[in-house]
Amino acid sequence: MAIDLRYSALKKTPFHSRTSLASRTNHWYTWNGFTVPTEYSTVELEYTAARNGTSVMDLTPMGKYEITGEEAHAFSDYLVTRDLSEMKDNTVAYIIWCNEDGKVIDDGTIFKYSSNKFMLCCAVKIYNWLNDSAEGFNVKIEDVTDTIAALSLQGPTSCSTLKNYGAIGLESLAPFEMKEFNIDGNNVLISRTGFTGDLGYELWIDPKNAEATWDAIFDAGKHLKIRPFGMNALEMTRIEAGFIQTNTDFMAAEDALRPVRMRSPYEIGMGWLVHFKKKNYFIGKKALKKEKEMGSTERCLVGLDIDGDKPAHGSVIYNSKKEDIGIVTAAMWSPTMKRNVALASLRRPYGIKIKDNIFAEIYHPEEIEYRKIWAKCKVVKRQFYSPERRNKVPADLYE
Amino acid sequence: MSEKKYDAIIIGGGHNGLVCANIIAKKNKKVLICEARETCGGLANHEIINYIPSIPNSVTQSIGGLNLQYNPKGSIALSESGRHIRLIGNQHIDHATISNFSTQDADRYLEFDNKMTQFSKTLGGFMMDSPPRVMNNSFSDYLKLFKLGFNVRMMGKKRFNEFARMIGLNIADELEDNFESALLQGLIAHDAVLGSNLGPRSPGSLINLLYRMAIHGNSLFGGIYEIEGGSNKFISVLLDKCSKNNVEIKTSASVKNCLIENDRAIGVELHNGEKVFGKTIISNADPRSTYSSLLGSQNLDTDVKRRIKHHRSKGRVAKLSLKLNKIPEFNECNNDDLNSRMVISPSIDYIEENFNPSKFDKLSSEPVLEICLKNNNENPSLDIQVQYAPYKAHGGWENIKDDYVNSIIKIISKYANNIENCIDSKTLITPDDIEKNYHVSGGHWHHGEIQIDQLFMLRPIPGAAQYKTHLDGLYMCGAGTHPGGGMHGISGKNAAKVVLGDL
Repeated sequence: MAIDLRYSALKKTPFHSRTSLASRTNHWYTWNGFTVPTEYSTVELEYTAARNGTSVMDLTPMGKYEITGEEAHAFSDYLVTRDLSEMKDNTVAYIIWCNEDGKVIDDGTIFKYSSNKFMLCCAVKIYNWLNDSAEGFNVKIEDVTDTIAALSLQGPTSCSTLKNYGAIGLESLAPFEMKEFNIDGNNVLISRTGFTGDLGYELWIDPKNAEATWDAIFDAGKHLKIRPFGMNALEMTRIEAGFIQTNTDFMAAEDALRPVRMRSPYEIGMGWLVHFKKKNYFIGKKALKKEKEMGSTERCLVGLDIDGDKPAHGSVIYNSKKEDIGIVTAAMWSPTMKRNVALASLRRPYGIKIKDNIFAEIYHPEEIEYRKIWAKCKVVKRQFYSPERRNKVPADLYE
Repeated sequence: MSEKKYDAIIIGGGHNGLVCANIIAKKNKKVLICEARETCGGLANHEIINYIPSIPNSVTQSIGGLNLQYNPKGSIALSESGRHIRLIGNQHIDHATISNFSTQDADRYLEFDNKMTQFSKTLGGFMMDSPPRVMNNSFSDYLKLFKLGFNVRMMGKKRFNEFARMIGLNIADELEDNFESALLQGLIAHDAVLGSNLGPRSPGSLINLLYRMAIHGNSLFGGIYEIEGGSNKFISVLLDKCSKNNVEIKTSASVKNCLIENDRAIGVELHNGEKVFGKTIISNADPRSTYSSLLGSQNLDTDVKRRIKHHRSKGRVAKLSLKLNKIPEFNECNNDDLNSRMVISPSIDYIEENFNPSKFDKLSSEPVLEICLKNNNENPSLDIQVQYAPYKAHGGWENIKDDYVNSIIKIISKYANNIENCIDSKTLITPDDIEKNYHVSGGHWHHGEIQIDQLFMLRPIPGAAQYKTHLDGLYMCGAGTHPGGGMHGISGKNAAKVVLGDL
C-alpha cells in the first residue's frame, strides 16, 4: 500500500487497493471524506488517455442519494429547476437546484429507474437539503454514497473496452440513457454519462465486486490505451467541455458567506435548465421568475478564447477603458485544440451585449518571477470541445 | 382565469378573522368567512379565556364602535396563611397595599412599575402598526425602525442601558433584585410566564411581561377586564357587525387547501369538495396550519419549510372548568376578592418547580393557577387557567387527566377548604384538546410563542411578516402574526389594511 490509512479519518473507496497500486506519485485528494488520487503518473498522460483511449476514474466519493417512494417523481421535479415531468425510465438528466432566493446550490445528474425510484449524484453532500426539502412528499431519502461503487470510463475507446469487458450491445445506448448489464454473474448499471465532453460511460456497481471489476476492465482495455485518471486531468477535460464546477466557477449558495457571491442559474449559463412552464412549483421558482421578469441578472459565465498560449489562471478581465469587468474562474492551454481557453464570470452587459475589446491581465510565472501579459479575449461558446463521436449512436468501436 | 366571486375569503372566524372581515366589507367588498367549527369565535370563547384587555380604539374605530361593557378586575395573590396581596393597577392604592407587607417593596414597586410602563409604551407604539419589512428597502419601513430606535434612544442614556440589560433577561432575576416578598414575586412572575413556554428563570421571560403590559394598557395589574355578558359577547357583537356589513359566513366549512393558479391563490377547496373563488384569501389559522395544510409543503421553498418547522407553537396552558352547586369559601376572602382574578402562585420557585417537569412532558402535582369565579348566573363556575400542562403529556393525556384534575382541586382546597363539596362537574381542556377542537397547531393561545425570535418583523417567520405569506394572494390575519395573541384584534385590523391596499 502506498499510504497507511489505518489511522486516518479519511475513508478508502472499494477500489483503493487498485488505485493505490497504480499511483506513482502518492498524490492524493480529499473528496467527501474519501481519499482519491490527484494524479497517478503525470496529468498529460492521463489527459491524453481520456482524449485518445480510455480513462478510468474512481467516482465513488460522488454524493449519491436514492429517492424512493410513491412521490419520488413529483419530488425530483420539485427539487430541481428543470422540467422532469416527461422523464423516461432508465434515463439520466443533467440538473441544477436552487435555494429560495433562486441561487444555485449545486449541479448534478439524476437517474430515473422508475417513477418510484430515482438516484441523484452530485459532487458534494446534500443529505440535509434533500431531507428537509422532502417534507410534505411521500418519499424516502437515503445516502447510498458508501453502498454504490462508481467508475467513470471516458474516451474514444471506452465503448470498445466495456464491450470487451462484457457489456454486450452497449454501443446502442444513447447519451443520457442507462441500462443494467449482467457481467460475470453480477449486475452492472452503465449510464452513458460523464464529465469530459467525449464519448464515455459511468458504471454503478456493488462495492464487493469493485476490485474484480477494476481488474477485468483493465484487462479488457489493455490494447485500447486504457489508463487510470485523476482529479487534475479531470479538471482539464471538464474545462474543454465547458462544464462548470461548483465552488470553482461559482460559489454554492449554501456555502457562500457573502450574499453577493451567490449566483442564479442565469449568471452561470444555466438558464436553459429553468423551466417555468412546469405544472408544479419548484424550489426557487418565485425568486427566479422575479429575476427573469425584472431582468435583474447581474453576471454571466462565458467562454473566452484568449490570445497567446499562456493560461489565464485567476486573471482579472478588463474592458477597453481598463475597468474591471470580471474574473477568470478556470483556464488552460488546450492541448487538443491548441487554443488558450478560459471560463470567466463577467459583469453584464459584458459577455452578452458587449463582446469586443475584452482583455485579460495574465501573470505568467517564469521561475519565481511573473511576466505580465495583456491578452485580447474573444467571447465564445463555453463548450470548447465537443467531438462528433460524443453523441453518436451506435457508438464508435475499435478493435 | 376562473370567475372571481369574492373580494376576500377569510379562513377561520376567530376574533381577528371577524375584525378583518368587517373592515374589508365596510369598503363595499364581498367577503366570505369559512369557519371549520359550528360557531365562530375561535379561542375568544369562555371555554378558553377568562379575561381580556380592552379592545384598542384603533380596532373599535375601524369597525364603527363595539359597544362593550368592561368590568375591571383586580388581582389577588392567594396565600395559604390568608395574608393575600391585592393589586388593582392604581399606583397609590397598590403602594399602600404592599406597604402592609414591606415598605421597601412598596417603594421599589413604584419604581419597577414606572420603569416597566415606560418600556412597554416604547414597544407598544411599535406594536399597533404593521411591522416593517427590512428586506423591502422601503422608506416607510425604515422610518418605522428609525422611530423605534429613536423612541428607545429618547429614554435617555441611563434608561436605554437599563432597557438593553433587561430585554433578554429572565423575570426572576429582576424580581429578586427588587422585592423581598415571595408572594409578590410569585404574582408578577406568574403574569410574565402566563401562556408561554417559559419558566420565570428562562431567558426572555421579561419581554413576555412587557408584551402583556403593552396589551393591557401599559399597566402591570390594570387593564384586565371581564366583558359584561361573558367573553362570547365580544364575538356576538362582531357577528352582528358582520351581518350589517353583509359578510357571508359559512360554518362547519372546513378548508382543505388553497387553490393555486399561476403561483397565486385564487380560492379555497373545502373538505366537502366545494370550491370557492376569491381575489384574496386571508388565513385566520395559525402559521403552521396555514403553511403546511392550506398552502401545502409541496408549494414551499425548502428554506421556508425549515422556518415553519422551527416555529415554536406548543401550548402549555390547560383550562379547568368546575361547575359549582355553591360558592366555595376561600380563606380570608371577601366578595370583592372573589370577584378578582385569583392567582395561586406563591413564589418564583413554586412556578419554576412546576415548569421543570413540563420540559419532559410530565405533570407537576402542584400547578400554577389563575382562577376566575363566575357568579353572575344560576350556574356558578370556577374557570381556571392551569400551568404548565404539556402539549403532549407523557403517558397520554387520556390516562392522566383525572389524576391531574384531582391534584388541581387538592391545591385549591388549601385555600378553600370546602371546594370538593361544591363541585358538580369538571372539564379539563388540554393544549392537545385545543389543537383538536379549535384547529390550532400545538394548542398555543397566541398561535406561537411571544419571544424575541418570533416578534415584530420576525413574526411568524422571516419573509412572511406584514401579513403576507410566501404565496401571492394569500394573507394571514391571526394571532400568529404581529403583534400576536391576546384578544385585541390588532392583527386582524392590520391585515385588513394590507389586503385593502392590494385589492
